[in-house]
Amino acid sequence: MNYMPGTASLIEDIDKKHLVLLRDGRTLIGFLRSIDQFANLVLHQTVERIHVGKKYGDIPRGIFVVRGENVVLLGEIDLEKESDTPLQQVSIEEILEEQRVEQQTRLEAEKLKVQALKDREKEVQTEEVRGSQS
Amino acid sequence: MEGVGQPAKMKCLEGPHLKQGPAKSCVSLAPEKELVSASQLEEEEENEEGEDDLDPDPDLAPDPEEEEEEEDEKDLGDPAVLSAVHNTQRGGLSSPGIKIPDVLGMSPTSLHFLWQTLDYLSPVLFRPKFPSANSPACHFGHQLLLPDPSLFCSLPTSWPPKFSLPSHLTQLHPQHQRLLQLQQHSRMQSPPAKKPWSQQPDPYANLMTRKEKDWVIKVQMVQLQSENPRLDDYYYQKYYQKLEKKQADDELLGRKNKVESLKLVTPYIQKAEAYESVVRIEGSLGQVAVSTCFSPRRAIDAVPHGTQEQEAGAASSQRLQVLHHIEKMFLQLLEIEEGQKDGPPEPCYSEQQSNQVEKLFLALKTQEQNNLEEAADGFLQVLSVRKGKALVARMLPFLPQNQAVSLLLAITHHLPLLVRRDVTDQALQMLFKPLDRCISHLTFHELLQGLQGLTLLAPGSSERPVTVVLQNQFGISLLYALLSHGEQLVSLDSSLEKSNSDYTTWTDMVVLIAWEIAQMPTASLAEPLTFPSNLLPLFCHHVDKQLVQQLEARME
Repeated sequence: MNYMPGTASLIEDIDKKHLVLLRDGRTLIGFLRSIDQFANLVLHQTVERIHVGKKYGDIPRGIFVVRGENVVLLGEIDLEKESDTPLQQVSIEEILEEQRVEQQTRLEAEKLKVQALKDREKEVQTEEVRGSQS
Repeated sequence: MEGVGQPAKMKCLEGPHLKQGPAKSCVSLAPEKELVSASQLEEEEENEEGEDDLDPDPDLAPDPEEEEEEEDEKDLGDPAVLSAVHNTQRGGLSSPGIKIPDVLGMSPTSLHFLWQTLDYLSPVLFRPKFPSANSPACHFGHQLLLPDPSLFCSLPTSWPPKFSLPSHLTQLHPQHQRLLQLQQHSRMQSPPAKKPWSQQPDPYANLMTRKEKDWVIKVQMVQLQSENPRLDDYYYQKYYQKLEKKQADDELLGRKNKVESLKLVTPYIQKAEAYESVVRIEGSLGQVAVSTCFSPRRAIDAVPHGTQEQEAGAASSQRLQVLHHIEKMFLQLLEIEEGQKDGPPEPCYSEQQSNQVEKLFLALKTQEQNNLEEAADGFLQVLSVRKGKALVARMLPFLPQNQAVSLLLAITHHLPLLVRRDVTDQALQMLFKPLDRCISHLTFHELLQGLQGLTLLAPGSSERPVTVVLQNQFGISLLYALLSHGEQLVSLDSSLEKSNSDYTTWTDMVVLIAWEIAQMPTASLAEPLTFPSNLLPLFCHHVDKQLVQQLEARME
């Protein structure tokens, strides 16, 4: 930013560890190696981190090239403070399982909601019919 | 204060509030290419609204003693003199490497903040700058960051003061600042457990070279350019004006050194007068689409634009014509081949096909020229091109014998020339097989005609064409094929021996060729594609034993 005062640029972020949030909800952590004018990113030694509740799991992914438009936000990671987290790291299988369970509960909750709405719809219709009839 | 290096970059903090410690001189360390001193930086709170008395957070406000201590330490007793160089230094710092002197290691506490900087210097924007000391009334908690863009140091993130200090042009939220300071405090109080460079040198650093970074910046700058920045970039310009004014005021108030803050300077780039969406480059095929940020790429027309450039010289145009001609003939050939059902190509029996073949042959032979000489020349030019050779090779099987013979004779007559022109392609070989088939149907007389071209001395040259031919694989193979066929004819038909003139010519030629072969050093004699078995007996008939022995040796 110093060489382009008043602007934001990723140039100083190069070669530093970053956390990148993508539009599809994924969280990537890696070293930012290269950028371009579209903020396309090249991430090195990338790890995809899945969070479920207080647990998280890391899936090593290698090198990522991310198209700029898919990035929601990114921020530098403080290497010293990185380990200083209340979250608990678990194995990949476990976190994937947790994720699946969470997904399932969410879907079921959705289903219940949809069902409830449908029921209410029917109630309203019958009321309307009754109302019009009388 | 010692100044070292050309642009005076040594900075020592001097200020009215630094009463405590003795004025320590700034230590200048190993002057490198560019000496930049990272003096200590104080935080100053800058409020655009003006006064904003923030109540210090109870947890933040250090007790007076502590404050004093800090202030003492704020003293530039051990200024960090950082030399920013562009190479990574030890400790795995990313681009610019810094030489952080031992001073830092010993007294990290003397530094409150270290800037995390840009990755490289930008001379244009460099300004010597002093960290401004605020009025004594401000205590630590209220002090704002004053950036020192002249400090170019990039530190590993494990360095105790780990946050990056933004320029004065973007502030930290006050709460954020306080948080950072708090962390700073806690870290300073505990003994620094880690060395300044706790990381191994990063082997993957600088994958993005300086050039590339410059390029990205350039692109970004170009996008920012404007003719009327006051209009386009109103808020930033206004902000900057306010800032400058404030600094001027501060200067008047008693700060000794003028602090200059940076301003964004966008490049001025001349816009092109006329925009051509499609550019034709001389000598290349097709078009290049040019796009600017204001007009995206236009689709390229498939229609040829305007006038073609005049061909450079007759030579290239003629070559193009020949190539063009070959292409046309190839299309005809492909049609003929299509028409031919499975099986080897044969002289065709259907009328339509024979018409096609006739047309093709004429196209080849006459080259659409009226002049015979030029036609012959055209034929040779076709044969000089690799594709032309392929064309003739594929065409020969379809031709009726007389036409094929005429081609063969033309080839043998100009064989040295063709050989010479084939040096790069080495493609004459593909003609051998169809020609061989043609040869096997030659009459004796035709054969002699063919051979004569090779044996006769060309006017103005002391060398017989045979010599050249013998050194080329195709040539020697063709020659052997001809001789072999001749021998076959003679042995089959004893009446030939009686027709004197032809036979004498034949024997003469055989002897001559044998002699030439014997003359040639074995090394230069080319390896024929096929070696007919009746050649040696042929030579035996006509030449003496000694010669035969020599021939044998060579032809093995």
